[in-house]
Amino acid sequence: MTPSGEGQQPHDARRQRRLALARAWAAAVADTTYVPMSPREIEEYLLALVDRIGDALSAEPFDPEPVAEIGTLLVRAHFSGPETLERTLDVLGRTLLFNPETGPVDRLAERVVTVLGAVASGYATAMRQDAFDQQEEIKRALLNAKNDVERVLKVSEARFRQVFATSAVGIAITDLTGRCVEANAALAEILATESSSLVGRQFDELLYATDTDGLHAIYRDLVDGVLDTYRERGRLRRDDGETAWVYLAVSVLRDADGNPTHHVTMVEDITELHLLADQLSHQALHDALTGLANRQYFASRLESALGSPAPITLYHLGLDAFSVVNHGLGHDVGDRLLKIVARRLEAAVQGERALVARISGDEFAVLVQHSPTTPSVLDMIRILQDELAEPVYLDDQGVAVSAGIGVVDQPPAGIEIADLLRAANSALRRAKANGKRQWSIYEQREDEAERVRSRLAAVLPGAWESGEISVAYQPMVRLTDGRIVGVEAVITWEHAEHGVVSPRDCMRLAEDTGLSLPIGLWALEAACGRAREWQDLFGDGAPTLWLRLTPLQSGDADLVGAVRQTLADTGLGPSAVRIALDTGAVLAELGDAADNLRVLADTGVGTALHEFGGAHQELGLLVESKTQALLLSPAVVREIVGNTPALRRALGEMVSVAHLAEGVVAAAGIDTAEQADRCRSIGVDLAQGAHFAPPLPPEQIPALLNGV
Amino acid sequence: MERVAWVPDDVDEGLPSAARLYDYLLGGGHNFAADRELAAKFLKAQPNARNIARENRAFLRRSVLFMIESGVRQFLDLGSGIPTVGNVHEIAQKADPDAHVVYVDYEEVAVAHSKLLLENNDRATIVQADLTVPESILEHPDTRALLDFDRPIGVLTAGVFHFVSPAKEPKRIVAAYRDAVAPGSYLAISQFTADFMPEEMAGIVEVMKNSRDPMFPRSYDEILDLFEGCDVVEPGVVATPLWRPESVTAASDEPTRAGIYAGVGRKR
Ligand SMILES: C[S@@+](CC[C@H](N)C(=O)[O-])C[C@H]1O[C@@H](n2cnc3c(N)ncnc32)[C@H](O)[C@@H]1O
Repeated sequence: MTPSGEGQQPHDARRQRRLALARAWAAAVADTTYVPMSPREIEEYLLALVDRIGDALSAEPFDPEPVAEIGTLLVRAHFSGPETLERTLDVLGRTLLFNPETGPVDRLAERVVTVLGAVASGYATAMRQDAFDQQEEIKRALLNAKNDVERVLKVSEARFRQVFATSAVGIAITDLTGRCVEANAALAEILATESSSLVGRQFDELLYATDTDGLHAIYRDLVDGVLDTYRERGRLRRDDGETAWVYLAVSVLRDADGNPTHHVTMVEDITELHLLADQLSHQALHDALTGLANRQYFASRLESALGSPAPITLYHLGLDAFSVVNHGLGHDVGDRLLKIVARRLEAAVQGERALVARISGDEFAVLVQHSPTTPSVLDMIRILQDELAEPVYLDDQGVAVSAGIGVVDQPPAGIEIADLLRAANSALRRAKANGKRQWSIYEQREDEAERVRSRLAAVLPGAWESGEISVAYQPMVRLTDGRIVGVEAVITWEHAEHGVVSPRDCMRLAEDTGLSLPIGLWALEAACGRAREWQDLFGDGAPTLWLRLTPLQSGDADLVGAVRQTLADTGLGPSAVRIALDTGAVLAELGDAADNLRVLADTGVGTALHEFGGAHQELGLLVESKTQALLLSPAVVREIVGNTPALRRALGEMVSVAHLAEGVVAAAGIDTAEQADRCRSIGVDLAQGAHFAPPLPPEQIPALLNGV
Repeated sequence: MERVAWVPDDVDEGLPSAARLYDYLLGGGHNFAADRELAAKFLKAQPNARNIARENRAFLRRSVLFMIESGVRQFLDLGSGIPTVGNVHEIAQKADPDAHVVYVDYEEVAVAHSKLLLENNDRATIVQADLTVPESILEHPDTRALLDFDRPIGVLTAGVFHFVSPAKEPKRIVAAYRDAVAPGSYLAISQFTADFMPEEMAGIVEVMKNSRDPMFPRSYDEILDLFEGCDVVEPGVVATPLWRPESVTAASDEPTRAGIYAGVGRKR
């Protein structure tokens, strides 16, 4: 309840008047400022102020003091726009003067002016204070903002400093000309120098020439924004001349406007990693004891060497009697010996593009890639052996080292590594078979021949069908008087590329391809036909027809039938032929070989044994089978014509035995008069070979027979 | 060592900012000479600028109160500006002292100022971030500490999207916030348009072109499109004074002179 004695009615009317004033006031200042209140709230807020003003106006005695605070209350509520005060004074002045609050008041106008003055001055003070506060605030905010940035900066700078100083990663900051502006201790360490000496240097100087261009391009791309960062493995030059293997991470620094100013290059030392990786791969590729390349590594290097144009020579060395050292002096001594050998082999090929490897216990290999100054194979063998021959002193015992050496010189480029190693190995075995300190060169032509052979085998069937294969006749001469007493029918192959394929090769090919039976039959028929012609021409003077059968042909179940049939067909007498079976096949009873020999002989067909080696059971076979003739094996022939009289004499015994069994002894492959003499000297009856006549076409045989 | 050039720009009070310009237009004193100079040009291009600012600020207040009434107690105020009169946390915490508010602005002074103001308020904070990079805000630990994304959040973007260029894909940005909040959350948008006063708007764009906050007005359709995934509450996207006015007289005679569209959507 209002303690007023004026009653309800006047009080309500005054309320309504004051409320109307508050509304008018709110409306007047509404668009002068933003007050975060609802219109109702604004009215209520202003109404409270109107109350204060009204109460002050009508108070007795008059005291403007309570009104002084109104300015502050207005400003605090943000009635503080540029025009807010003006509008306020306008509204209040008009209303208060002309709609008196409470009846007639003494000196009303004076009071109103005084009140409004108090509001205005209070407002001005509040505004000044507020503006000051806000400016203070904004300055503090600004300061804080700057401090924040500063702090962030300081922190990041300090952090950067710390990282920069303590990082294990080397950091270089370079300007755009590549000059080093800043380098940390880690980088200095990586480069084996002082960081102070890096500053001012061109970063380029640290790079290897081969890397410089690439990196320049990268630095440029970074500046151009083509690249953001660059990470790559690389190398840097250390001041001590060594190489540092590093990861490089390069990025570009830009100023506030985005213009590039510097490069930051992070350098991570991976030399150790690199060395470790090296070491690991070294372990995988090297022999732990000697440090030489191991077999796998050697093989891979061999492979790449084969692929390069420079010819190579492969030496395969096997220590002589190493097991004697190992067992006699102990493994430690053996190991030391191996190490010494390793060093000596390396010394031997020093200056050559060579790789020395230990490829098994006591075996080493040396790969030499030829240069114009590379010693010849023979010289190299001498160098290697001389190097090894120096006595080795182990526990005061001088041990002489020697090795057998197998050599493969200039193997063809296409050869398989396994084949190459096998070839070297077989050459080494051959050398070792001859004793200590021996060497042997692998005959790669054998190998070459082997490849040719298989190529030929593949095309043989077609060749036979197209008539490239023919039967030729090679005379057999009686050594006592030089008369042609026989001819051997051989098959020859006039190959478009390879020229004439020798009868021996030709038969081997036929044998390999399973063609030997039909070809043999075909040759038999052809030869018998010719022999019959010559018999007609020369009667008793006609030569005996020899046919050498392969092992397969020798064991052929149809052999006897085919021979008899052919003889019958051609009308050639059975004693005019010498069907020579393969001695080995007969002895081994390959197929029907043994039976064939016996049956042919039993039926009067002239027979022979070829590849006759003179062994005991062979001589026995000769006696038993009543075979008329034998053709000595090439190995025996070599011994007869060789330089060893003792051997020759021993074979002479064998020939005598054959004669006892009434066998005619023939030797093929006689190429010189001397060889012929040596054969004759031990009683060989017939000889065949280049010294007398090559295989000839049938047409030439009669002339030859006539001529003699 | 030389100070290398990756350090951020210093605070430069010589460079006017939208935050301080807005403060000045609202009658605030948190501004510098350069801001007032820009304001003079702004007022020349758009003499109604003070009203526009006031109406925008009033819309912000009403939208917050509307959300409070709808049960929302957490607010994410993107582009909050210099704390001036009627800040979101004041409005919200007056209604419910437990309301949580995260302010976001990228302007250093606005942020520093907000920090001062919020020093003793553990239910409101300011994150300095660029609102066009939503993850930087949504995943900010301060945001996560104060806002519960399982409950509705009032996302406020009052007077800010006109600072986001089309190249930044405003729709994608809004969508990121919308997708991050729970269904039942609210989104408030107010932004300048050239639909009402094309000439003045062009003038404003020109004035702001070389400030650190150039402006991009948007059409009704473009603004409505930003509310994708939300139901726009009554009265839709309208001139600021027309958005749920608190009294008939409060809406000025010529509402479109407010120059800014405003609307609130509710996430489905
Ligand atoms: C006009 S003020 C609006 C203040 C407040 N939201 C209001 O409506 O009353 C715009 C604010 O948005 C800020 N702003 C503009 N673009 C921004 C961005 N990309 N990220 C954060 N803040 C931004 C400005 O710094 C400025 O403080």
